[in-house]
Amino acid sequence: MSAETLEFLVGEEKNLRELLLDSDVLPLLKGALQAGAGAARVVADDGEELWGESAEGGRGELLARHPILLEGEPVARLELFGAQGDRERLAPLASLLCVALDTVLRNNLKRVLTTEIHTSVVNSSHEELLRMNAELAGSEARYRELAENLEVRVRERGAELKRAQARLLQQEKMAAIGQLAAGVAHEINNPLGFITSNLHTLQKYMARSCAMLQFYREHLKLQQPLENLIADAEVKWRELKLSQVLADVGDLMAESLAGAERVSRIVADLKGFSHVDEAGESPVDLNQELERTLGVLSHLLSGRAEVVKELQPLPPVTCQGQLPGQIFLNLVQNALTHAGDSPRITLSSCFDGERIRISIADNGPGVPAALRGQIFEPFFTTLPVGSGTGMGLAVVWEAVLRLKGTIAVADAPGGGADFIITIPTGKE
Amino acid sequence: MIEYSEKERRMVLKLVYYGPALSGKTTNLLQLHDLLTRQGRGELMVLDTTGDRTIYFDLLPFFLTAPSGLKIKVKAYTVPGQVCHDATRKAVLQRADGVVFVADSNPAETQSNFASFDNLERNLELVGLDIENIPLVIQFNKRDLPQVIPEGEIRGTWDPTGIPVVMASALNGAGVAQTFGILAGLVYDRIDARYQLLQGHGLTREQFVQQLTSLKEEP
Repeated sequence: MSAETLEFLVGEEKNLRELLLDSDVLPLLKGALQAGAGAARVVADDGEELWGESAEGGRGELLARHPILLEGEPVARLELFGAQGDRERLAPLASLLCVALDTVLRNNLKRVLTTEIHTSVVNSSHEELLRMNAELAGSEARYRELAENLEVRVRERGAELKRAQARLLQQEKMAAIGQLAAGVAHEINNPLGFITSNLHTLQKYMARSCAMLQFYREHLKLQQPLENLIADAEVKWRELKLSQVLADVGDLMAESLAGAERVSRIVADLKGFSHVDEAGESPVDLNQELERTLGVLSHLLSGRAEVVKELQPLPPVTCQGQLPGQIFLNLVQNALTHAGDSPRITLSSCFDGERIRISIADNGPGVPAALRGQIFEPFFTTLPVGSGTGMGLAVVWEAVLRLKGTIAVADAPGGGADFIITIPTGKE
Repeated sequence: MIEYSEKERRMVLKLVYYGPALSGKTTNLLQLHDLLTRQGRGELMVLDTTGDRTIYFDLLPFFLTAPSGLKIKVKAYTVPGQVCHDATRKAVLQRADGVVFVADSNPAETQSNFASFDNLERNLELVGLDIENIPLVIQFNKRDLPQVIPEGEIRGTWDPTGIPVVMASALNGAGVAQTFGILAGLVYDRIDARYQLLQGHGLTREQFVQQLTSLKEEP
């Protein structure tokens, strides 16, 4: 294992020099000399003397030799020299010396191994931590980027949704106008039908009258006796049924005139309701707007619904003219949709000096308390899918907001829903 | 292999006792130390422990010389079994030539056995060894317990894999030398061709195994 990589291999071979220090070995060898040995030395397997101590008076003969084992392998030998006569005394000393060296060697090896494995484990744990740290930093950066993108995405989606909602509100308004137009067309078609029919009849009557006049003109030229002329004219008069014609003409004219007036009244209502001639804000009487709404919805109301009006005089409200109409139209239509077979719609208005309060109540099933927070939200509908857009009350909410007012729904007395609109007057 | 030097005519092999905590890895080495003859065996080195639990490793070295003069040192290690010492396990496992997996026969430890074997597989891969190729012996230890995983069940699981399984009771010395001998034989098989143990060095499989596992003669 190279030192550069700082890698450590458990089990790497050690040599004696790495494991034993001079300060470990030499004192032991010196001790042997003091005990009377001529020389003591540690010689490696290849014959190299690793450590040695000799007495001044010459080393004498080799008295004892012991192998030194490192992990079971004989790697060196301990040699003890001295006088031949000291052999008996010095041989046990050599064994003792060997045991001492072996003990020191084993303890040192143990210490070195422990230190090495410890260092290696600490290093690898440290490296692991560094790696984990780098990974975490990486993933954190990734998440942060994701989070940032997410915010942008959510913003984009939010804006998209808002645009879609605005588009739908607009569509709802257009749809309402379309429905209104259809209803009004029907309303106008009715009088127009009988006016046209009356005009046809009047055309025929006119032809008969002209025929009578022509008769007179021709017979007067003949200068007949007057009695004859009177008798002939009487026959012609009867023939043309001019008595009935004269009796009918008055009725037809009156009826047609009334029809025409009805048409012009509807057109006036519609004009007033739509405020087509007005740009910007103008003072508006909300009671009048309620009446106009009822006017343009007359094709839905007349003969089918009972309308109760409890209107008190109101101060004018300055606003865009078509807003109140949008509110009332949607609320009255809503009441008609939900009120069942014999609808009764109660319209009331009052003014308490600060605020105008308008209530549009029906005799339908009412709005459950749990749904009251939701009904003004876009797309909320209790009708089957495809029957309602869920935008009607959202249009109302938006319009009320633009009048700086509030709208809430309550239980009407005797059941049903009561939509209450509160609008502050311009004085505040 | 820890080291191989043609010039110095030296080979150092590494065997590792792996397994879950408290399955008896150190006991295996202690028993080997006691059972085997002093000849060619070094002293058991037990690195510092805390409360009898291995925290680094234990080492039992063996030394033998092939007829050619090739010096072969075999170092048997244990790893710490506790999950928290994974870095040490990896360090010890590096360049291993053979592995004994000491499993606990206690049925309650089945999960630990699985987890540890899984850990062995992963760590072998991390240190660049392949569990499919490395000599491996599985020892089911603690057969002396009153409640053990039945041998039939164990054999049913492991025999199809071809991995040798030894039933042991390390505390009583049963199966310990056998496990070591089987692993030594497998290691010989694995390195013989490459290092010419028989052809080049005149060392037979039987000699190799016998030198590593010769029991003390009863006094």
